[in-house]
Amino acid sequence: MERMQTERNPGIRNQWWLALLIAAALFAPFVISEFYLAILGEALIMSLLALSFNLLFGYMGQLSFGQAAFYGLSGYTVAMLLTKVHFNFWLSILAGILMAGILGLIIGFFCVRLRGIYFSILTLAFGQLLFFVIYKWHNFTGGDDGIQGVFPPEALKSPVNYYFFIVIVFILATFLLWRIVHSPFGYILKSMRDNPERTEFLGINIGRYQLIAFVIAAAYAGLAGALWAPFYRSIAPFALMWIKSGEPVMAAILGGPTTFFGPIFGMFLMTFFHAWVLGFTVYWPVIMGALILVIIFFLPGGILGFAQEKWKARKTSAK
Amino acid sequence: MSFDVLFNQFMSGIARGALLFLVASGLSLTFGVLRVLNFAHGSIYMLGAFVTYSIWKYLLIPVVGFYVATILASLTMAGVGLLMEFFLLRRLYSRGWPEQLLATYAVILILTDIVKWGWGGEFLSIPRPKPFTGAVFLFGFPFPSYNFFIILLGLALVVFLWWLVYRTRLGDIIRAAASDREMVSALGIPIPWLFTWIFVLGSLIAGLSGAVSAPFGAIRLGMDIEIIVECFAVVVIGGMGSLPGTLLGSFIVGQVYSFGIMYKPELALAFIFIVMAIVLIIRPWGIFGRPER
Repeated sequence: MERMQTERNPGIRNQWWLALLIAAALFAPFVISEFYLAILGEALIMSLLALSFNLLFGYMGQLSFGQAAFYGLSGYTVAMLLTKVHFNFWLSILAGILMAGILGLIIGFFCVRLRGIYFSILTLAFGQLLFFVIYKWHNFTGGDDGIQGVFPPEALKSPVNYYFFIVIVFILATFLLWRIVHSPFGYILKSMRDNPERTEFLGINIGRYQLIAFVIAAAYAGLAGALWAPFYRSIAPFALMWIKSGEPVMAAILGGPTTFFGPIFGMFLMTFFHAWVLGFTVYWPVIMGALILVIIFFLPGGILGFAQEKWKARKTSAK
Repeated sequence: MSFDVLFNQFMSGIARGALLFLVASGLSLTFGVLRVLNFAHGSIYMLGAFVTYSIWKYLLIPVVGFYVATILASLTMAGVGLLMEFFLLRRLYSRGWPEQLLATYAVILILTDIVKWGWGGEFLSIPRPKPFTGAVFLFGFPFPSYNFFIILLGLALVVFLWWLVYRTRLGDIIRAAASDREMVSALGIPIPWLFTWIFVLGSLIAGLSGAVSAPFGAIRLGMDIEIIVECFAVVVIGGMGSLPGTLLGSFIVGQVYSFGIMYKPELALAFIFIVMAIVLIIRPWGIFGRPER
């Protein structure tokens, strides 16, 4: 019963380090160089993509290999609205998220019928499909040139201001997701992961709940894409490629998919490691591949997952 | 639309389907026995094409050079498969499917970089080997004779796999292992040994299909993921782990692709996925597959 209580009010005891992290994020622009600030911004945006993936993987037990589709579609929506029709920035962001959500509804409709490896295959296939269409549809999307000159409004044009914008959106979005996964809805997702048959016996429509989760995840990926395009000032078909879909997967595995903050931690590690590695080699994928294997073989559960296990073990032995 | 256009598209669809069958059959065989979906199957196919190119270029034997290169490259890929099974997959059979999937995904990343490092990002090509350089006339219409080589190879593989799975003792073991692994093991058949050789066979087929795909189109980075996504479509439509399913799936995807590209090239893949989506709604486990337990 005591455990139930602590799980109902999760994170209360963790507040001090969260506050510390938020303070660090807000002070960062005054301490670190613009180069590292850009990487920090990238890490924050990509963390949203990692959270999107892990809502499906860590909480629902479905491994999506197509999150980049939502990310990219939203990025393209924002980029095209801003450059072609000079639409309002804020509404463009919302439109991007909305488009990602709608795509999530369409793809999810097919995908939630499947489990395990079939789900992964279908999400990958849909992702590649969208990539292919955007890549080939040169007249409309610019093909492999992508879209350049995607500028945020005047107030957000300076890197520091845009960074603050990212931080605020990130905190709000992460908090919202935290609330979602710790709501009754979140517990239904987990019970579907652990025992789908029993969950169904409880009268829960698995397909519908999975679809809702899929759409939420798509919207989160969309949010990441919508933030990315004006941040990077451009978008290219690469944003929808399978490699991009693989990034949140790796981040979650690295950080620990069983923890809420694991994917964020993993994405931060990956983004900074990537920036550092690119300084002396272009063979980043081979390093990433080797890293995945190391994690799978020696650190199953990821870094935070591993730490949590150790911490739990220590707590039980202390009792 | 005239008959010759339709016939032409149909025949090129058959050739494409034959190539898809070559690749997808290895994927399906491995999945059927090991229950591991090898994401890196397409990467082995790609590496096979690049290795074929290098051997062909290095040997420069007239006439048979390509065939020698094909055989050597296939054997090399079988070796790659052996290493992959021995060092990676073998240690992951007891783990969940996400780990297996991720391990093969890691292999994709590693093999992609090896290709990039070894051959650069250029497009390479091998001319069509003799005697398949010219055209064959069918009902008075010309077709590249190399397409017929691919089709014949595809048919040969169908016959070989059918013979292997349904007419040999190894085939009995394969089918038994696919339905009840523990029971087969209890009968004294070394399962790890079986898994290794099936994976090696799958990799050999992947390497072979990569090699023969080389004169078909460009050898380039990215061909791995293109083929694997189409192969997924094939096995999802036909049913994973089913030989007749893979054959039917390859035929369907080849035809849909061929006619789709004639109608609207940008959407050729989209048509394949529409078919796949329809199959998934009606029979999520594929036309010839069995529902998951």
